[in-house]
Amino acid sequence: MSEVTYFVVRKRQLRRRKLTPWLLMLPALVIVLIFFGLPTLYMLRMSFNLHFDQRLYVPGFTFEHYGNLFSNPLFTNAIWATVKLSLMSSLSTVLIGYGFAILVWLKPSRWRLLFIGLALCPLLISEIAIIFGWWMFFPKNGLLSYALLSMGLITDKISLMYTEFAAFVGLIYVTLPYCFFILLSIFDGIDKRLIEASADLGAPPLVTFREVLLPLTWTGVLVAFSQSFIWTMGTYATPSALGPDTLWTMGYLIQEQMLGKHNWPMASAFSMVLVLGVALVMALTRTQQSKRTSFHV
Amino acid sequence: MAGETALDLESVRRTFGSVVAVDNVSLAVERGEFVTLLGPSGSGKTSTLRLIGGFEELDAGAIRINGERVDHLPPYQRDTATIFQSGALFPHKTVAENVAYGLRMRKVARPEMEERIRQSLDIVRLRGFEDRYPGQLSGGQKQRVALARSLAVRPAILLFDEPLSALDLALRLQLRAEIKRLHDELKFSAIYVTHDQGEAMAMSIRVAVMNKGRIEQIGRPEAIFHEPANEFVYTFIGESCCLPVRFGGGQTFDKSGEGIDLTLKVRPAEGECRLYIRPSRLKLAGEATGLPNRLKAKVHFIEFLGDVFRYHLKAGSLEIFADNDGSIGHGIGDIINVGWKNQDMKVFR
Repeated sequence: MSEVTYFVVRKRQLRRRKLTPWLLMLPALVIVLIFFGLPTLYMLRMSFNLHFDQRLYVPGFTFEHYGNLFSNPLFTNAIWATVKLSLMSSLSTVLIGYGFAILVWLKPSRWRLLFIGLALCPLLISEIAIIFGWWMFFPKNGLLSYALLSMGLITDKISLMYTEFAAFVGLIYVTLPYCFFILLSIFDGIDKRLIEASADLGAPPLVTFREVLLPLTWTGVLVAFSQSFIWTMGTYATPSALGPDTLWTMGYLIQEQMLGKHNWPMASAFSMVLVLGVALVMALTRTQQSKRTSFHV
Repeated sequence: MAGETALDLESVRRTFGSVVAVDNVSLAVERGEFVTLLGPSGSGKTSTLRLIGGFEELDAGAIRINGERVDHLPPYQRDTATIFQSGALFPHKTVAENVAYGLRMRKVARPEMEERIRQSLDIVRLRGFEDRYPGQLSGGQKQRVALARSLAVRPAILLFDEPLSALDLALRLQLRAEIKRLHDELKFSAIYVTHDQGEAMAMSIRVAVMNKGRIEQIGRPEAIFHEPANEFVYTFIGESCCLPVRFGGGQTFDKSGEGIDLTLKVRPAEGECRLYIRPSRLKLAGEATGLPNRLKAKVHFIEFLGDVFRYHLKAGSLEIFADNDGSIGHGIGDIINVGWKNQDMKVFR
């Protein structure tokens, strides 16, 4: 083979090698672009449309809705309330899920199936059915009030229904299983002997946690956090069904603008802010991830 | 400092439910001594090691390191360092950070820490690998980093938990020699757990053969091999042929009662017993003439093992095998003499 043909062939090979991953991704890419990309673009366009005369929308171009979103206290308060609730419940979910996952990881395997079965339960029930469950649990004549009363912890029946606490608990309950499974899968990739090795070299349990377990599970913590944060930011049913009437989350307001006020551009603008906000949080958590995402080589 | 005891186990016992994993084990390791716990799986050797490291709790007995009782202390307060089978290197830390870990926990000052990391990596010949991550190392290199990490803290006793068993043969032999060399140079005190008798024999100053949670025999490797305390030790160390026979009325019989043509210099008492012979010491056919103990047996089949031929022979229902260079000129079906010296035979009842 002459030098020239060699280079031509080599060039073709290299080009093909560069193309291969894209070709392999193509089917998935097409699905993602058609089913997720297009609607988002459509929503983006919708958010700039006009709204008057009680019509759903009037084609046009205005920043009015975005301006409204950040100046009207009704909307800014909702954004703030949602972010606060989501942050709190996501952090709690990660904490509880982490403890739960560490427990299952460390316990002998005969307990494992039981724990995993327990964690799977909420996933088998729809969010609506779970809400009905909480309706039996939180009110004045509910299970919680009865249990506290019979244990002698309270003297009068209490209702936690329609409180921020109920919304908070409800959100944790929905996101916890995902969080747990994400973290458990990370823990399962860690050699348990590492804990012994750390102790053996003179590290007390808390130091072992800080030096070994936390760094090795950090990626999982971030993924679990973003997962629950995304979910809780966007969810609508649980906080509005369990929380107080004054708890106006972004999900609730989007629904209200869309179905109640028939203001599609406003609802779209609100949704865009939600999507971008969540994307921003994801990008932020991404930067917190270690460069070497996987150590289990 | 010679003669001082680095580690002392006194009637140590550990049970898991109804299983006695470690049964009244007593053992003293002198400073600078290399003691191997050798035994089949489930013999309690790893449990014993984990008791010393503090990863299991004692049911009874006492453990002393440099004369002080440690059995109530958690692992991180014991002056031991374990080399695990898996290496157990921290995958998110570089080689240097791994070696530094124990030193940081012991609050060793910065300049000394750096000096000791350099030293330890020098010892295991891994200078220049400081900034690599464990994932970028080969199996043998990982184990050497694990060794460096343990050596760096200069523990009262090093605990080896089958560190070579996950490696391939060539690497195993190479690292075995390397550990032996390190011990000769540094004179650290160590307990080495293995089921590989070659490792045990080659590296140890003393070997403790364990079975069913007990130490069956402890002594120098040569003593263990040549003067086994009991049948278990004899059969576990080195290859052996077992001949279950019955002596009666001046004759020898196999299990089924068939007569065997066996000549012994010293005839054991009448009754059933088990004769053990080292196959490597057996002589065949012409080479067997003049030996005090002889058995007539038929060549059953022959295996070629590379440097030797292994003759599998049968006498009645007795099976015996012997290695030969193939120069005896007999083949399958021939009846030949098998001979051995008195010291190559053991009789157990």
